[in-house]
Amino acid sequence: MKPLLTAEKLVKSFGGVRAVDGISFAIGEGRCAALLGPNGAGKTTTIRMLAGLLRPTEGRIAFTGLPERSDIRAHIGYLPQSPSFYGWMSGREYMMYAGRLCGLRAADAKRTADELLARVGLAGAGRRRIATYSGGMKQRLGLAQALVHRPKLLVLDEPVSALDPVGRREVLELLKELKRETTILFSTHVLPDAEELCDDIMIVRDGRIVVQGSLPDIRERYREPVITVRTERDEASLEWVKRRAGKAGGPVVSALPFEDGIRFAVSDLDAARRLLLREMADEGVKVARIEAGYSTLEDVFMKAVST
Amino acid sequence: MRGLAAMLGKEWLELARSWKWLWVPLVFILLGIMQPVSYYFLPQLLDAAGNLPEGAVISIPLPSGGEILAGTLEQYGIFGALIIALSFMGAVSQERNTGTGALILVKPVSPAAFVLSKWLAMAALVAASLAAGYAASWYYTVVLIGPVAVGNAMAGAALYALWLLVVGSSALMFSALWKSPAAAAFSALGTFAALALLTSLFPRQLAWSPGRLPAASRELLLEGAAGSLWPTVAVTALCVIGSVLIAVRAVRAHPAD
Repeated sequence: MKPLLTAEKLVKSFGGVRAVDGISFAIGEGRCAALLGPNGAGKTTTIRMLAGLLRPTEGRIAFTGLPERSDIRAHIGYLPQSPSFYGWMSGREYMMYAGRLCGLRAADAKRTADELLARVGLAGAGRRRIATYSGGMKQRLGLAQALVHRPKLLVLDEPVSALDPVGRREVLELLKELKRETTILFSTHVLPDAEELCDDIMIVRDGRIVVQGSLPDIRERYREPVITVRTERDEASLEWVKRRAGKAGGPVVSALPFEDGIRFAVSDLDAARRLLLREMADEGVKVARIEAGYSTLEDVFMKAVST
Repeated sequence: MRGLAAMLGKEWLELARSWKWLWVPLVFILLGIMQPVSYYFLPQLLDAAGNLPEGAVISIPLPSGGEILAGTLEQYGIFGALIIALSFMGAVSQERNTGTGALILVKPVSPAAFVLSKWLAMAALVAASLAAGYAASWYYTVVLIGPVAVGNAMAGAALYALWLLVVGSSALMFSALWKSPAAAAFSALGTFAALALLTSLFPRQLAWSPGRLPAASRELLLEGAAGSLWPTVAVTALCVIGSVLIAVRAVRAHPAD
């Protein structure tokens, strides 16, 4: 896999706080990568450093095939979390302006503007003032303006988080199309979005990458047998869950209680199942549901971002 | 200066769409006309007010044309500066606060072009407004009051153009430095009001300061001479250039919030 962009030991501190604390990654050409993490993990800061809006305190960003210190902005299309436009311009005017800023001649800018507006489904609204656009339309215009100079890398900050279900769907479908033509890096705090679109994910927490790899790879690497028990909310059952929480031993590797049950990571599924069933029968735990299987990506994510 | 032409076009369009191309020159024209017209009708106005004793004779000597134009320029120095500062107090900070600037500055454009396009638009608006307003004032002065010495009147206006330009440039600079547009307007106006006051208190020591421009313009129009103005003009030009450079630095260091 040939990397298109490499970030090495990126650090950004604001005052004394290290919002990004030594992040390194490489984005392969033609891949779609997600920066995944809870709010405040440092995703936006990382993305703004890539877009050139923030100067890294330490570390460097290199674009393959470009000399160091050259203007990588010419090869990156950037869409912030909630893009703001000049409301007094029409969508088409804005697109033409963006094209001219990227060095297109007026005629080319016009043609590109119409092409891209049609592509994101705004051909009909192109002549309306942006101030009258809905959130989803603004996000699609944002995508169109990020594509105006045919960037090698598309960098998107939470592209669907602020949208309603319909807008979300529209943008996700557009991104699916785009990932066939260009390399994409986007941030999100929603795992299913990352799962739906991405080849690679990087899970970020407290300014560091805690899990990194391709999706199948991560699924394989972090796959572990789990037994999930849901109980009724009577005293004996709650008491047992409380006692069991955090207690490892035998085939049980860890026990993480949640709202109405407890999740065991185990080393041997059969042995653990026997042990737990017997224990629950002895203690009079009112089992509502018991499930034995393998951890999902959701489990990996939750484990990676919770302490 | 990549992107300068495109950004200049955008600033131009924004001035038009926000009607600034209309109302700023209009205010200058109104201010300009009011000066000669109100002087001309002053006796009638006083008469019409009607609370003078019977038989009172109103005899107000008509001022000279130069005096009227000096008065007009004085209005521009205060109200014109106010309008320009208010119009451009958020030039950079609004783009930062709303995030519109971030989308522009991630494109392969130079921050210098970003600032310069705003400065050029401001300078064009100042020049056009001052020219339109001054022409109107001049016309009514000649018609109602009397002739004006052309050379001095032009030079006097040029000095005020410089004055408005330096106030506008500093408003632009403060808008790149500070988040709040109101603070930027206040700083720009405060700085130059203080400078003008100080210069009038210490005319000899501060003869080079931009604060001398208003007084020098008045002397030109009333007395026909104002001594050597080159130090003042040079220092003012440096202030303008310095403001633009500082604004560029601020945008480069801190393109977005």
